[in-house]
Amino acid sequence: MATITCREFLDHLEPWMEGERPQDSLAHVRTCANCSSVIKDLEAIHSEARSWSASEQDAPERVWTSLRAQLEQEGLIRETTPARESTAHAAAPRRGWFAGLFPRLPRPVLAGAYLAALVAVAFALSGPVNKRVNEARWLKGTQISTSPLSAQLNFAEQNSHSYVTRSNPVVAASLHQNLAIVDNYIALCEKSVSEDPQNEVARDYLYEAYQQKADLLTQLTERGENVQ
Amino acid sequence: MARTRRIDTGELPEAEAIRLAQQGDAAAFERLYRLHNRRVYSLCLRMVGNTAEAEDLTQEAFLQLFRKIATFRGESAFSTWLHRLAVNVVLMKLRKKSGNESSLEELTEPDEDSGGPRRDFGAPDLRLSGSIDRVNLQRAVEQLPPGYKSVFVLHDVQGYEHNEIAEIMACSIGNSKSQLHKARMRLRELLHEALRAQAREDRKAASAETGGKD
Repeated sequence: MATITCREFLDHLEPWMEGERPQDSLAHVRTCANCSSVIKDLEAIHSEARSWSASEQDAPERVWTSLRAQLEQEGLIRETTPARESTAHAAAPRRGWFAGLFPRLPRPVLAGAYLAALVAVAFALSGPVNKRVNEARWLKGTQISTSPLSAQLNFAEQNSHSYVTRSNPVVAASLHQNLAIVDNYIALCEKSVSEDPQNEVARDYLYEAYQQKADLLTQLTERGENVQ
Repeated sequence: MARTRRIDTGELPEAEAIRLAQQGDAAAFERLYRLHNRRVYSLCLRMVGNTAEAEDLTQEAFLQLFRKIATFRGESAFSTWLHRLAVNVVLMKLRKKSGNESSLEELTEPDEDSGGPRRDFGAPDLRLSGSIDRVNLQRAVEQLPPGYKSVFVLHDVQGYEHNEIAEIMACSIGNSKSQLHKARMRLRELLHEALRAQAREDRKAASAETGGKD
């Protein structure tokens, strides 16, 4: 059988480690202690490295906490899952929890009632927070900086506008009115948060407010699509 | 409170989680993170050898992923896409660290004189088998050029196939095989050097002990 030199074997080492076993290489390895030793070394390296995967661990929880905070800050995530709900209840039309309580009422009425109730409850619950709001500045219409989420919602609102104009004018007016209520509520919450950024309650109300606006915009879009 | 509650994301299938995450669903983001964070974190940890940096890089990789998730169209496996992002994040970090603006090709094809494996067998009297452990191998891996390191960690540690690595590293399958072989050969050299250094230390210690007795 033809034999190869150590240098020639070295050229074949890469395919050898990939599992190729040509006869001339096999013959060489049987008789060459050096090349045999190289193979054993490489196999030992591979084997040791492979064993590391067994001890892989999740990243510490603080990584997710920090990542989530950043995603929220950038407005990349939202808490509600309309699409998920629609998947879970594919056959049923999408209805919020409040709508579910009054299945026979028309949607515009529900939307108004929903928002009115939300705003009333939120105002009642957020009394201590609202007390901190500077009423005079609020009445003067002082603008506060909008968060990325707020900006995203405003963008969505602009896109929804064309849908609304194609729908029933009465419904459109009702929904616009509701949007105005939510926008006022958002402005109030944003003001509270800007004055006291550490106030957990104020921040939660703000997120709830964004949430309501997102829901409303979804309704606008759905309604517009139905009209088309 | 709604914003802070922990969402149960347990059984959501990956494809569904991707679809929902593309719509900004927080629970879907968390599901994807929980599905893949272990592998990404391990990759980063093996590449940089430092837990604090690995945590930062893991966060950065997922952040980039979630920023771009709306553009994911499923041409490649999601995990492959994620690993590509993670490898790029790590390579960028390593490049910045070394103050070197070299290209990816340079990172994966180092000069033979400055980091590539020599085409010889090393000292025949030293045997690595039996002397390789987690600590000295990790130390050697840390000394690999970044490109070698990526392929080695992806293949030998994480078990990716060459076709997957080719996709992750944006190179050919042949290139992946070649880089892996060079990485292993370089590791063998580094481990030999460490063994020789250890042997020298042992000899010094022994001679000092002998000298002290005289």
